[in-house]
Order: sequence, then structure tokens, then C-alpha cells
Amino acid sequence: MGGESRSEVLHSSLFIFHPHIAKGGSRVEFKEVVGRRRSIRYFLPWKPVPREKIQIILEAARLASRAGNADFARAIVVERDKMPKADLQALTLPVNAGMIEMAPVHIYWWGDLAAFRRDMPARAREQVDMGVLNISHGWTHKFINEVAYPQVVQAFSADPVLNAKVTGCESGLAIAQALLAAVDEGLGTMLCTYPEAPARTVFGVPDSWTVLWVQFVGYPAEGWEAGGQRPRPPLGSLYHEGRYGAPFRSSEEVVAQLQSQKMLQDPAPLPWRRDEVRAVSRMLGLPEE
Amino acid sequence: MSTNIAESQTVQTWLVGVHEQSKSSPEADAKRVQVLAEFCIIAGKQPDEIIDDCLRDVDGGKKIRVKGRRFYADKINEFEQQSEGTAGERRQKANYVRSFLIHNGVLIQTSPLF
Repeated sequence: MGGESRSEVLHSSLFIFHPHIAKGGSRVEFKEVVGRRRSIRYFLPWKPVPREKIQIILEAARLASRAGNADFARAIVVERDKMPKADLQALTLPVNAGMIEMAPVHIYWWGDLAAFRRDMPARAREQVDMGVLNISHGWTHKFINEVAYPQVVQAFSADPVLNAKVTGCESGLAIAQALLAAVDEGLGTMLCTYPEAPARTVFGVPDSWTVLWVQFVGYPAEGWEAGGQRPRPPLGSLYHEGRYGAPFRSSEEVVAQLQSQKMLQDPAPLPWRRDEVRAVSRMLGLPEE
Repeated sequence: MSTNIAESQTVQTWLVGVHEQSKSSPEADAKRVQVLAEFCIIAGKQPDEIIDDCLRDVDGGKKIRVKGRRFYADKINEFEQQSEGTAGERRQKANYVRSFLIHNGVLIQTSPLF
């Protein structure tokens, strides 16, 4: 892959689309990070991601809430240009092919189906000793050894559906923090699918790991707005109050506050989006129409 | 190979999609169709046959034929490499063919040119 002046010229003309890529000096507040997060599908293929930023993303994932303090979320980090071409091709699917080649860093997320059963007893006892799980809430080593582990964790882990549910949910919490950390670092990021069987061969992961998502990371080739905040159904149609069917009441004052704090942003499509997509596609040699 | 591919159903679907979704100008339709015709000669297939090779009917819709799509993805790459012009011009020609597949429901992606 060699740089072409055509790309560089076109890219320089696109800087107008991201006038304030977050980082540099000032930090963006949490609510704005949530508001800025989009699935970025166009990356600058030639711009590497500093290793420190990847470490920050992984640290954010490591600190996510997780049941029993168990190690559900696992990841394999790949620098695209250090990956054998044949391995990259093995991980390529029609729906991820563009991003695999555009994003300089891929984080292949896995969920460890053995995590709850393996980690919970010792971690829970450790939390009792640290004053995290306390007598006030009924937690003792005896309860963990004789009740929580054999009656709950083992039963849970023996049910493949329940185990997959808890592993997916707990891993998802970590992945969500990884996404937000990437945005906070001024990077573009998105989740996509990848094929399990070839990935097992390429990465040599333990049998208990199950494939989740690949997180693509790089500098966005599109503006960070990526066409605007994605539409979501109204709050009250998704979330209920007291019982199903009673919409959670949304306050206009809170909406205004979140707009001022940039958590709620201009919705897609922003008026220039089609022109932006066409220009970015042309820059990268992707189909424009 | 018929030179009247513009009348085929899949080409019409393509051009309508290009104008509606991408707001592209119909003025370039002749060029689009000409490039597709060149590709059809290389592939030895009519446009409708190419799409038939990539999609099959299933209950409630269409399903992509993996082998067919892979075959044409490789064929388009060959077409791009063998075409005349700069890298950008060759890529644009190949992207016309990719666009034809995409607007007929065959998801296909390509690597960035850089």
C-alpha cells in the first residue's frame, strides 16, 4: 500500500469535515462523548493509531461492570499492517471487507463462556475480604462456597442459553466502554461481525471463547458527525415506568439540558451527508453511487 | 453478447437505484451501461445472468450465493487490473460494475485505493 498524491490532495480538502476532532488538549465531557459516538465506516487507512490510545481503550473495557468480577470479555488486538495478508483474508466477510482494509487497528472481541464458573468463587471471596461484598448484604465465604457457587453459578453455567446470555451481556458492557473510550480519544470506531472458525485458527484462542464482534479503530475519514446522530424511537416507547405499557415520561427541560451538553445532537441526515459520502468514497476509491 | 443490455431488468433496477439513492446524474447512464457491457463480455454473461449467479430465491426474499459473489468479486478485480487508464480511472470502471451488483441486492465491498 503506497501513498498516492491523489488521495492526499483529496484528503486535505476533506479536513473541513472534521474541524474539531476531539483531542489535543481539552477533554470532551462524558455526555458529549456519548452523544458523539457513531459507527464510523470510513477510516484513513494510512494514519496509524498510537499504541497508547489502544491501551486506553482496553483499560476502559477492563474496568467495566461485570458479574462476579469474572473475566468475560477477551480481546485480540491486531495492527492491520502487521497481520499476514492470508490471515486478514481469512477474517474477511462481505460485510466487513471495507473496514478490515481501511481500519489500521482491529480489536477482535470474544466472550469467555467459562469465565463465570471459573472466576466467580475466588473473585467473590476476594471481594468479601476487601469489603466489597459485605455481611450487610448477606455475603460470606460460606454463602459463596455452599450456596452462590453451587446453586447459582454452576447451574447458570450449565445452561448454554443462560451462559451465552450472561457472557454476551457482560462482554457487551466492556465493549461499550471500549467504544466510548475510542471516541474520547478522538478516534473513529465501529463494531462488525467476523467469522468464528477462521478466527479460531488465526488467533488460536481457547475453546471456551466465543466470537462476539470486531471493533474497528482508526482516524475517521468522514466527519465525526458521520451524517448526524442516528434516529432512535422516543424514550417512552422503549422504556417504561412501573409496568410495561406505561411510557417513561420525558422532561423537555432534561432534553434541553442534554442538547446544551451535546449528548443529544442534530439528527441524521445532516444536509451535506450525501456530498460527504461521495467525496470520501472518491478519495478512497470506493463505489460512489 | 447483446449490446442492448440497457433494457434488461437488472440494469433498469441499477439505474433507478443510482438516481434515487445516490442522486447521481442520468447523463452518465450511457457511460455506466457501456462499462457494464464491457464487463459482461469478459464475464461471458448477460446482466440478468450475473445477478442470477449471485442471488437465489428463498422463502420471503433472496439469498446471496456465496460462490457466485466471490466469483464476480474476483472477476471485477481482474477487470479493474486489465482496464486501461490511471489507477483512479480503472477503479471507477470497476466501481460501476460493483454498483450494478450492489443496487441489485448483492452486497459487495472493496479495498480502499491508497
